[in-house]
Amino acid sequence: MMSLEECYDALGGNYKAVLGRLSSERIVKKFVLKFLNDQSYVLLEQSMQDKNYEEAFRAAHTIKGVCQNLSFDRLGDSSSRLAEALRSGWTPEADALVDEVKRDYQETADAIRAFQTENGES
Amino acid sequence: MRNKQKILIADDSEMNRAILTEMLDAEYEIIEAEDGTEAVAALQKYGTELSLVLLDIVMPKMDGFGVLMVMDQHRWIDDIPVIMISAENSSFQIERAYDLGVTDFINRPFDARVVHRRVVNTLLLYTKQKRLIDLVTEQIYEKEKQSSLMVDILSHIVEFRNGESGLHVLHIRVLTELFLKQLVTMTDQYPLTQTDISMISTASALHDIGKISISGKILNKPGRLTEEEFAIMKTHSAIGADILRQLPFHQNSPHVKTAYEICRWHHERYDGRGYPDGLKGDEIPISAQIVALADVYDALTSERVYKKAIPHEEAVRMILDGQCGVFNPLLLECLTAVSESLPEELKQDTARMDPEGVKELTEELLRRHEITSSERTLQLLEHERMKYSFFASLSEEIQFEYTEVPSMLSLSSWGAERLGLPEMIMDPMHDDQVCSIADMESIGRLSKLLRATTPEQPNVQYECKLSVGGIERWARFICRAIWSSDMPPQYMGAFGKTVDIHEERLRIEHLEHEVAHDTLTGLLNHKHARKRIVSQMKDDPGAKFALAVLDLDDFKSANDTYGHMFGDEVLKHSANQLKSSVRGNDIVARIGGDEFLIFLKYEKNLEAIMDRIFHSLLGTYKAFPISFSMGVAQTEIAGTDYPGLFQAADHALYTVKRSGSGRYCFYDTSMQEGNVTFSMIDKVYEEDGRDDG
Repeated sequence: MMSLEECYDALGGNYKAVLGRLSSERIVKKFVLKFLNDQSYVLLEQSMQDKNYEEAFRAAHTIKGVCQNLSFDRLGDSSSRLAEALRSGWTPEADALVDEVKRDYQETADAIRAFQTENGES
Repeated sequence: MRNKQKILIADDSEMNRAILTEMLDAEYEIIEAEDGTEAVAALQKYGTELSLVLLDIVMPKMDGFGVLMVMDQHRWIDDIPVIMISAENSSFQIERAYDLGVTDFINRPFDARVVHRRVVNTLLLYTKQKRLIDLVTEQIYEKEKQSSLMVDILSHIVEFRNGESGLHVLHIRVLTELFLKQLVTMTDQYPLTQTDISMISTASALHDIGKISISGKILNKPGRLTEEEFAIMKTHSAIGADILRQLPFHQNSPHVKTAYEICRWHHERYDGRGYPDGLKGDEIPISAQIVALADVYDALTSERVYKKAIPHEEAVRMILDGQCGVFNPLLLECLTAVSESLPEELKQDTARMDPEGVKELTEELLRRHEITSSERTLQLLEHERMKYSFFASLSEEIQFEYTEVPSMLSLSSWGAERLGLPEMIMDPMHDDQVCSIADMESIGRLSKLLRATTPEQPNVQYECKLSVGGIERWARFICRAIWSSDMPPQYMGAFGKTVDIHEERLRIEHLEHEVAHDTLTGLLNHKHARKRIVSQMKDDPGAKFALAVLDLDDFKSANDTYGHMFGDEVLKHSANQLKSSVRGNDIVARIGGDEFLIFLKYEKNLEAIMDRIFHSLLGTYKAFPISFSMGVAQTEIAGTDYPGLFQAADHALYTVKRSGSGRYCFYDTSMQEGNVTFSMIDKVYEEDGRDDG
């Protein structure tokens, strides 16, 4: 059965750091599972499609913030770079970065879902 | 058990709000906002009940900086600590936040213990300060009271020698304060704080202390002073200043400096021709300029040994005309502005210091640390809010509150449910749901009425239609405008209720209709017909009108032979015939038992028209033959005075009746003299061979 720490390894996060800050495994687990419901990624995809770069920036920025709180380092890093690229509107790097964020998000979501099913938490 | 302190968390990410809530909700009541406008709405709703705001920067609709600016505008920033939470960490953003009054910055990622400690510390700091403020305010009030008391007593002693009543000192203080307060609202040229104003008013009492060195003979001389005497009198300003200059202590106190200015220069003139130093324009300190004006006004309006008192309006006029010296035009504007309220203000017992003034003073002195509400006030507020909600829920009325900035409408729960609207609506004038219930023109008029009110008379009643659930009903708005306590007062919004008056309104409309109409026939009654006729003639002075009076021939026999019920039917039938024989704007009325009236406008060919009408009335009703006699008067001949016109028609009718009924005739002037001249068409009713007469 996958432990929370193993889940963090799979998604490129830092379990020790988050545990230090939020002090209880129960709380960390609660928010990790909640991450699946966060709409920011959906919003990011939608606004990129609509070419609404202001909203895309906000969405990327929000994802970055959440990842920082949860020490989802890999996704946090790519979304941070994406946010910077979108801060003043579309830039050429933005599209490539969006793909990177997409990949990282998938991996993160997959890892959490795996943790979820294995631990009967769905 | 005390209530939990309230904390507002504004962050667009649900996740972030959840994490912070997790860390704090055991000890605090958490209120959430997911963007800037919701945050402002929460601030509006809870005001200083909020002990702390955790504010994100990046949010849709209004970002964190936007919220800070609104808080600054409303001075909430002074009362509510803000901790900025953000993933932004550029020093530019951080500096900007601190400039806007943020208390602290917490970076992401959130560490539970750090967040907790920071929040607790900030709250502790602010609570302690709140308590200190109350203490200090008390002290300041006492101190001010004491010092003005001392000054007043001492200056009274000085003035006593002049034979003054002592009111002079008081008046100068009041006038000085009034003029100063007016001046700062009118211009930025003289930046004076409430502290400054207070100090100048107090110091004004000392303006004539130099008179202590002037001989009593000169001070109390009832006649004009000689040139020498006047020269001596003039020295009192320099002497008073010297006395102050020679004080062995307090030389650096702003009070003393101000008193010196006022003493020495309150007889200078704006054009430079005053004394003792001949200062010109704004070389004269504003404090001295103001006291000079106050002194002149009070001298004019008080009784003195050498003159009688001059009434207020005249004194003001004299000053404005330049008869009493030359003043700074700005000051003259101040005088004009406060002129109306002057006599009232001077009458009051103004020896006390007003609490508003103390409050402002305290605020200025303790800028960053003061808080305007104590804990007790917060508790009272909480109680008021509970009471209000409770009564609102009982009353089954639509109660509402509207604020201008931010533009927001709140409804009582019952009201919201009834109208099918949410309890809180931002920017209601542009909200689709609101627009579907009330039309914007009516709301616009209501808004105008509210803005036209004054703080003394803030209540407004207004009726209009509301569309609830697709049905239009009449509603009455009973509301009150909210005015701020600044000078001049600003319109801030309104609150009130709306009551459904639909049934009442319908009933009134119905009653009004009943009053104007005859119940049996549904025609107008004479009184109301006359009203309308007079009105039509007035609105159309050049037009040609005709008034006809007619009565049913042999109506009595219908009643006698067939009974009153039948008679009524005949009347109803005739009324209907009448109605259908005329046009929309023509007036038809029942003016007596069996008498009717027609009034109409015509272009030409009146005869043809009346002929047609007359004939359409004839006929039978259930075998009862209907015959009319009619007299017609034209405004062209009989004039537009109603009694005259009516009488003319009546004369014509009488003429017909005398010569046999069953026909009509036109009025002409010969009828007045009693001559009967048949100048119309002679129609004999002969269908069933009835005899005439």
